Amino acid sequence: MTLKLNQKDCHNTLTEFISEDDTPVIALVGMPNSGKTTLFNTLTGSNFKTSNYPGATVEYSTGKLNEEYGLRANIMDSPGIISLNPSSPDEEIAIDGLFNNPKFGVADVVIVTCDVTQLSRQLFLVNQVISTGYKTIVALTMNDLLDKKQIYVDAEKLETLLKCPVIKINSKKKSGIQELIKTANSVYKETDHSIYKTLIHKPPIPDIEDVARLYDYTEEIEQKVIKHSKREIDLDVINKNTFKSLSRIPDAGSLKLDKYFLHPFWGIIIFVISMGIIFTSIFWIAQPLMDLIDSGFSDLSTLVTEILPQNTWYSDLITNGLINGFGAVMVFVPQIVILFIFLGLLEDTGYLARAAMLIDKPLTKFGLNGRSFIPMLSGFACAIPAIMAARTISNRRERFLTILVIPLMSCSARLPVYAMLLAFLVPPGKPWIGGIGLGALYFFSIISGAVTAGIINKFKKTNEKSTFMLELPPYRLPVFRHIFKNTYYKALIYVKQAGPIIIVFSLVLWALTFFPNQEPVIPPEKTAGLTEEAVTHLKESERLNTSYAATIGKYVFEPVIKPLGWDWRIGVSLISAFAAREIFVSAMAITFDITESEDNEDNFQKSILGSMREARSPDGTRPLFTTASTIALIIYFMFAMQCLSTVAVARKETGSWKIPLIQIGLFTAMAYIFAFITYRGLNLIGIH
Amino acid sequence: MIQINNSDKLPLNEITKSVSDLQIGETALISTVGDDCIDIHCHCLRLMELGFTPGQEVTIVAKSPFKDPVAVSIRGTIIALRKSEAECIKIL
Repeated sequence: MTLKLNQKDCHNTLTEFISEDDTPVIALVGMPNSGKTTLFNTLTGSNFKTSNYPGATVEYSTGKLNEEYGLRANIMDSPGIISLNPSSPDEEIAIDGLFNNPKFGVADVVIVTCDVTQLSRQLFLVNQVISTGYKTIVALTMNDLLDKKQIYVDAEKLETLLKCPVIKINSKKKSGIQELIKTANSVYKETDHSIYKTLIHKPPIPDIEDVARLYDYTEEIEQKVIKHSKREIDLDVINKNTFKSLSRIPDAGSLKLDKYFLHPFWGIIIFVISMGIIFTSIFWIAQPLMDLIDSGFSDLSTLVTEILPQNTWYSDLITNGLINGFGAVMVFVPQIVILFIFLGLLEDTGYLARAAMLIDKPLTKFGLNGRSFIPMLSGFACAIPAIMAARTISNRRERFLTILVIPLMSCSARLPVYAMLLAFLVPPGKPWIGGIGLGALYFFSIISGAVTAGIINKFKKTNEKSTFMLELPPYRLPVFRHIFKNTYYKALIYVKQAGPIIIVFSLVLWALTFFPNQEPVIPPEKTAGLTEEAVTHLKESERLNTSYAATIGKYVFEPVIKPLGWDWRIGVSLISAFAAREIFVSAMAITFDITESEDNEDNFQKSILGSMREARSPDGTRPLFTTASTIALIIYFMFAMQCLSTVAVARKETGSWKIPLIQIGLFTAMAYIFAFITYRGLNLIGIH
Repeated sequence: MIQINNSDKLPLNEITKSVSDLQIGETALISTVGDDCIDIHCHCLRLMELGFTPGQEVTIVAKSPFKDPVAVSIRGTIIALRKSEAECIKIL
């Protein structure tokens, strides 16, 4: 009872006397997999936000300490680091951010998480942090794993040896957290704030001998603090025995599991199955949700059309511009959510690192990394979540290269386009030819992605040598709460940061295809006997065909795409398809004035194929869609960067316009050149 | 970064074996790390920081189907190293 009262008193004093300005800043530092992120999640609950360091794509999270701990404090998370000596540009940013965070500056207290199952390794970073002059508290994690080995760490002894507070915690069970916060607060209060921050300095870069000496020291500490929990005889003897039996062997369960997960045969089987599950999920499970969002937005658009005055530019702006733009942003959310839940599961269970290890070798041939695999696989569903998933690649160069080639993967938005064009090519009664064609397109997209990455890797020399050196953490059960929370924030960041760019792009496209908005004049004899719907359709077609996009199509695109056997109408459809590739099909339907309703898929397909067969080249002498020009169109879609949302996300994820501009320039050039070669080549061998 | 002359690696001494020569399940003691690396991009310091220090015991836990990278047990954890990285760690 008294204890409770005391705690309450303590709570009151804390919240009353610390004003907003001198809210202490507590930074969390730790090696990867040391339990740092779990601790951060426990401390902040849902009060956190993730930001990028200025001009970089390295993330850090900041949050307010959960009220239940009775202290007002800001918590700052940082990426997991091995030591305070950076070995890559990204690590340098992460470490610099620790000494001078863009939001909080210098931290008042640093909590270093320290995995007790590998104490000698983890104390290495602890020592470095202490030597910088930071007020340091050591949070010992994974104590339950040591218990299994019937040994434990003597926290008090460690405290005297390190000369800083040491507290055992369990973030999942929330034990030790209150004590940790209390200690942080008293450390903060004892600090002489007038000189504290001037005393903090980055440690000098050690040489190999320094590291060896530091490790000798941490081993010595480890020997002294690890105790056996059963026998209490001669400490030295126990330590000796313990170390012999402990022998710093990794988690026994994980070693057993790795016999299967990293087995030359079974490992590959498990890998293929798990990747297959992820791929089919983002491909198939997301589809109904995306359709739902799609139809939701088009229903909204129809509803708004009925409310707003008819035939005004602003009603079209709202329905076709804004609402469709929002729809274009939201439609990717299901795939992002599903992919990030799976990524979170893989990361939390410890399998992600192992999957990366299994597939690393073949990818290094193209300048990529084992971690590039999942993003590239996801690229076959959609480039948007795929580019976002590339965050898991720690090497900057490999991450950018992965992001660069992801749009070459044959995403699901290309399927309707391929389906339409293949249906045109395939002789009636032989649908299997189309199936083989589609398979070949997927296969070639892998080849083109790999070759492109390989060539760019060859030409772009670098000083940053590719490293792997990845810790394979013990297998653990995932914490679903944290995975869902992280996924939610990933989706939110996408909507907030990539969303506006996508909407702006959609509005520009809308303006191009709507204005100058000459009221379509249709001769009365043409509309005679047609339903109202058909007349609207005719008007829509007429409007698009007199729009700025059509003008650009006629005067800019047509001369350029004529060598490929196409005319301006295909040009207009290509411009419209920048909003999303699948729009190519509906844009074709509008430009070629398909009157059949889109809802009836069979009829739609037949009528669009019929229109394609009837369409004549600009001079009217020969058919527009020939075998050669249609194959050229397929080739064009294989390479072209026909997706504004991808451009927006690539801009957001790489932190500059460089990568998206390279993608637009390079891939459009590749698309054009290969389509040209295909068309002319087929003509040369007599296929027209 | 260790700033040393920018020249290629010296030919490996034929007698010294490295972690990359070990088979799955084999254990060895580290003798030196990066003794003959004169590569400017050498990551030996990072290997040391990860815990691969002379005198430590290493065991090969697994190898990827392509024999590269290898999973090495060190100081209570498992670290996957590419073959080129494992070659820097010489064993007794």
